[in-house]
Amino acid sequence: MQNTLLLTLLLPTLTVPFVYLLGRKSSKIASFLVALICIINIALLSTTVPSILNGADHKYVESYYWIPVLHSSFTLFVDGISFSMAIITLILILTAALFSINYMQERKGLAEYYALLTLLSIGLVGVFITSNLMLFYFCWELMLVPTYFIIGGWGYKEPYRAAFKFFIFTHAGAVFVLLGIGAIFMVTGDLDMFQAQAALMTANPTLVEWILLSFTAGFAVKMATVPVHMWLPDAHSEAPAPMSALLSGVIISAGAYAILRVSLGTVFPALIATEFGRQFLHGLAIFGILSAFFGSLIALVETDIKRIIAYSSIAHMGYVLFGLSLFPFQEAITGTVLHLINHAVSKGLLFLSAGAVMKQLEIRDIREMGGLAGQMPITATSSTTAALSIAGIPPFACFISEFLIFVGAFQTINNDNFYLIPTALMLIATVLSLAYALRFVGHVFLGSAKREKVTEVPFFMKLAMIILTAFVIILGVWPSFFVQLIMSVTFI
Amino acid sequence: MTEILDISLPVIVFVLFSLLTIPVVKTIRKRKIGKTALKLGWFSTVFIIAVISVANLTLKYYAQPSPQPFLNVTLTAEPLAMFSTTFLVDAVSIYMAIIFTMVGAAVFMYSLFYIDSSEELSERYYSIMLIIIGCVIGTVFAGDLLTLFIFWEATAAGSSFLMLYWKTSKSLHATLKYLVMIIIASAFIIYGLSIVYAITGTLNFWAVKNALMALEDKHLLEIAFIFIAAGYSIEAAVVPFHMWLPDAYTAAPASSSAFLSALVDQGSYYVLLRVLIYILTPSTVLPWTLMLAVLSALTMVVGNLLALTEKSVKRLIANVCIADVGYNLVAITSVTSLGIMGNLYFFLIGGITTALSFMTVGILNNMGFETLNDFSGVGRKMPLTSLALLFAAFSFAGVPPFAGFIAKYLVFTSAIEANLSWLAVIGVLTSVIQAAYLLRLINYMYAKKPQDEAKIKEPKKLLAVIFILVTAIIVLGIYPTIVLNLIDPVIQQLPFIP
Repeated sequence: MQNTLLLTLLLPTLTVPFVYLLGRKSSKIASFLVALICIINIALLSTTVPSILNGADHKYVESYYWIPVLHSSFTLFVDGISFSMAIITLILILTAALFSINYMQERKGLAEYYALLTLLSIGLVGVFITSNLMLFYFCWELMLVPTYFIIGGWGYKEPYRAAFKFFIFTHAGAVFVLLGIGAIFMVTGDLDMFQAQAALMTANPTLVEWILLSFTAGFAVKMATVPVHMWLPDAHSEAPAPMSALLSGVIISAGAYAILRVSLGTVFPALIATEFGRQFLHGLAIFGILSAFFGSLIALVETDIKRIIAYSSIAHMGYVLFGLSLFPFQEAITGTVLHLINHAVSKGLLFLSAGAVMKQLEIRDIREMGGLAGQMPITATSSTTAALSIAGIPPFACFISEFLIFVGAFQTINNDNFYLIPTALMLIATVLSLAYALRFVGHVFLGSAKREKVTEVPFFMKLAMIILTAFVIILGVWPSFFVQLIMSVTFI
Repeated sequence: MTEILDISLPVIVFVLFSLLTIPVVKTIRKRKIGKTALKLGWFSTVFIIAVISVANLTLKYYAQPSPQPFLNVTLTAEPLAMFSTTFLVDAVSIYMAIIFTMVGAAVFMYSLFYIDSSEELSERYYSIMLIIIGCVIGTVFAGDLLTLFIFWEATAAGSSFLMLYWKTSKSLHATLKYLVMIIIASAFIIYGLSIVYAITGTLNFWAVKNALMALEDKHLLEIAFIFIAAGYSIEAAVVPFHMWLPDAYTAAPASSSAFLSALVDQGSYYVLLRVLIYILTPSTVLPWTLMLAVLSALTMVVGNLLALTEKSVKRLIANVCIADVGYNLVAITSVTSLGIMGNLYFFLIGGITTALSFMTVGILNNMGFETLNDFSGVGRKMPLTSLALLFAAFSFAGVPPFAGFIAKYLVFTSAIEANLSWLAVIGVLTSVIQAAYLLRLINYMYAKKPQDEAKIKEPKKLLAVIFILVTAIIVLGIYPTIVLNLIDPVIQQLPFIP
């Protein structure tokens, strides 16, 4: 088909009013509609796989007339990386929508909730499948507004406070991205990522350095790198569980994807041979280690069930940042992108299970939980799977990607012995992640039951968790589909 | 002769109909039934004729790719030609006339349906609004500094009547403040203009510009520039001359606040643009870039900080207007074609967005919601009105896909292009502050509990007008090419700008 990618954006856009109207009649139907759109979109995107794997430059591109004055056309493209990210996003939205049927059923205003979720899916998918920076920014900010209202409208404690923090932090990050985009337009006269990459090669290096820093700082906020992580624990833990799954699974991964695609893929090649470029990568590695240790250590002592997972997300974005600092080593980048995917699925599953536990127990402190394994077997199985995956235990998903990152790191040490100590530190950090994962499982599911009469969650919540559990295991034992896709992308 | 008619027809239409409006509306008011329908009919006729006259100009001249102004008409013969009233039509003036007519029509519709809490609006009010539109359009068609001055001061004088409309002590104070500022400003401008005339012997835009480019000794010109720039900055509410704006806009009824912000405010930016870019062009005539850059940074910071501390929502929006002056100035100081494009786009979007927010706040004010605290929970009480205000707020904050984003993007990019990256950085940082206080407003509207649960009936007719503007900001945000293509002829006419 000619307009596959345009359709994947148009379809949810056009369905938003229907989701809202049907949602006023029955929220279940609205949720099914969201799920249906996700399935159709997955199918649509899958039709591009042959041209990604066998095409001339491993890409599938569509371009439409948009704003000629700004040299912007409505360019949509998928290559291996964006395809994988978009698919995982859609799977997570699908499970989030199914999970919401039971999880949100007592809440009010679900028509708005599902309409916002549909809007969010446009932004989330759009970020991954465009190569025009202006359109990219549109989608980037389109992630923001629905998320703000979902956290605020259906969250816990003081939800609008958390949502406000989220909005302001990430919007402040986004304006730096905007400065970078403006500067790229000025230097290259073009807003296409791939055209700009070539044009930046001949630009004034000092300016390119500033553009690189501006972009990276902006994206790092979304990625919740220490020291700009402050929005994450609040937003992730106050949001309703399906939204937390999307926040942790996709939205922060979008930050990492953007660093890879824009900072490293578009701007960095112009500086790759310079001393500044080397130091920039070292900087990424250092911030990665800081995030990994900071996140893991706080996750070890935190007692709120969702905050543990939230801090673990900061830690994992640390691994990802470390992986990105190994650019452009093929194994490391493949491992990093694969880790984004695996982490998205595992963390999404973990947040959904935590939501299931909170829903049945109505408490958040893990010290008051225990022995749920017998009472909620499916939730217990899926959380344990997710937790072990997060800890990097084979055969679950995250093991293989962390392994690839370390393979890349050891290769890099040959060329640049700066990486010797960071790699060692990163290995220690993985031990910490095993510690907090076991602590989480032990406190919540093992030991003696502290409460009587806890029942398993309703059908759709189980279904959502089972789907994701299956993915965690499949991605762990058979990663080659995504690996093949990601390997097809070359940056330099 | 037809040329003179072409140019002056829009102005004549508005002025003539403004005079006719008084007896017509008086007659309509005496009737018992169908008053609104008849008024709507009458004003639709006015605007349809006005649109035809502007469309006539557009179709005749706009599409011609010409580096020179399309028309340059002098009304007096020799020997006073150098000092006579001239009209000039170039792409900028046609573009401005188009947006003034369009936005003016939308705001006018709103004020027709806007029933004040105490009384319906009098015929003088409509008449003054029409005459102001006429004067603003006259300003954009002016071809020499004196004509520009006369039409612009007429606009300012007319605006003071709108502010005075309620005749409360608050509005009297505000109007007095405004008038004093405007009179000082016009004295400054007249003084500056007289110096310019003394140096160049003419007031015609092109003649002045050519004479100034050849000028050897620029000391006198610098003095003239300071007076002219200060004068027009006062009228545009550039910090530190901004004090009159929040008072003036809050003292007026909502429909006139919307009107003032959408037309008069944008008109004042146009005057700055015309005088600074087209006549006192930097680097060829006078290098004023740094000075204006500092003023614009100051305006953005002060305007946004004032809004951050503001409790009354209407004043908050008025302070956003001040911040908007700063964003417009960023583009003006950059002196690039991208910047001019950004400016012209901002004129339209800023006008629509401020008008939109004043309109919605006007409805809410009428229901007795004034401060941020009163706004608690209105999102649930009046969902549609709040939704419109929400969109306006996101557009102000520069969140895509709303049109404000493209406007800000153009402005900041032009600043980077002009090597004023520091200004762009200040711009985006203040834009984050802007997002913060607008989000606080949204927080109040949606997150806080309302004082009582009762739903309030929303005025359907006003909302119809409001949602026309909402559609405009969404459509222009997603597909700005419609307007950017309209601006393109302007950019073709800027041979003296990189």
